[in-house]
Amino acid sequence: AGRRALGLEEAAALRLRDNRDLAGRGTAFSRSYLARCFEGAHPALPAEGRAALVDFLTSRELVSYVARNLAVQDLTLCSEFPVPPDVLQRTFFAVIGALLDSSGPEKAGVFVRASHFQSDTLDFFIPQLIGKDLFEIWEVINPMGLLVEELTKRNISSPEPRITRQLGVSTVLPLYFVGLYCDKKIIAEGPGETLLAAEEEAARVALRKLYGYTENRRPWDYSKPKQGLAAEKAVSSN
Amino acid sequence: MTGRGSPSRFLAAVLHNGVGRYVRQLQRLQLLFSPTAADARGARQFVEETALDFARRHPDVVLYVSARSDGAPRLLAEYLNGTVREVLVTSKTSEEIAQLATKLAGQSGLDIVRIRKPFHTANPSVQGQWHPLTNKPSALTVQGPRLQPQ
Repeated sequence: AGRRALGLEEAAALRLRDNRDLAGRGTAFSRSYLARCFEGAHPALPAEGRAALVDFLTSRELVSYVARNLAVQDLTLCSEFPVPPDVLQRTFFAVIGALLDSSGPEKAGVFVRASHFQSDTLDFFIPQLIGKDLFEIWEVINPMGLLVEELTKRNISSPEPRITRQLGVSTVLPLYFVGLYCDKKIIAEGPGETLLAAEEEAARVALRKLYGYTENRRPWDYSKPKQGLAAEKAVSSN
Repeated sequence: MTGRGSPSRFLAAVLHNGVGRYVRQLQRLQLLFSPTAADARGARQFVEETALDFARRHPDVVLYVSARSDGAPRLLAEYLNGTVREVLVTSKTSEEIAQLATKLAGQSGLDIVRIRKPFHTANPSVQGQWHPLTNKPSALTVQGPRLQPQ
């Protein structure tokens, strides 16, 4: 019985060790691949924005939610039930890591491996961004400062805020619409309860327009895996 | 009984199924029946004749057939999001059971309750949602030059 216990423990330890390695590989590749996807889809988005999106998509809550709805809970070998979210997250990334390794170099080239994996990440992670606003995911403390930076990068003069509309100024619920004008042309307009709030909201609207992450942008193209060669290079470098 | 008395939900797909790829939401189907009871005749016929065919037509569903149930014959459908649906197939013919199995294979694991609206979208407005100040002249509108009479 002692030997059996030892045998079991060894096997379990092996499995856990594999899980950790695989999970590490899976996480690293998911993050790099998602970062590349966002570089391609939203080239205007700065690095912090892309990092925030990737962090959100690989966060524990989201990954455990996705894993739970893909029945990964049934696959995990865990002593607790319901499986805690960090275990689910590690297991899901371990599955991705295993997929990465499964079609090994003896198959029809690295591109096959990369393409299977790409479409998995694409189809399960990226729909989680549907309906989400950029600044829900990426916390920006000073949108006006960021906006001024972005405009100077594009050689546009800094914005002048003006009140475009106001309602109920002397009431307890005023509404101000502040428009931001660059060279006397309007770039964005945002509402708010106070003038400061309206100006901040207008800055956020302007940033959304600049980064191309508005609500009415073209939806994500799921038809084919993006940047197959770039991901292939990432695979070979990993 | 009005709509408020019974539960309801909005139209949704599990994990936005279909946007990226379509994954069949039925994970496994268990057919439990008794080998001797009279009301399990349809189930036994289904197992003998149509079960293999069903399994071939739905390769992503695992079909378990268990001939040792003591209770009534039933189909147990387990979905990817964890929902388990049990349907009694007492005194049903083999074709009816096959139809039922196909119906279960097409469902997602979301609750079968009243769906409030037959549509759902994450981006309801393309040009921007109307608010009372849309199309009202702003405080900064510059008045254009008046057309001079000819």
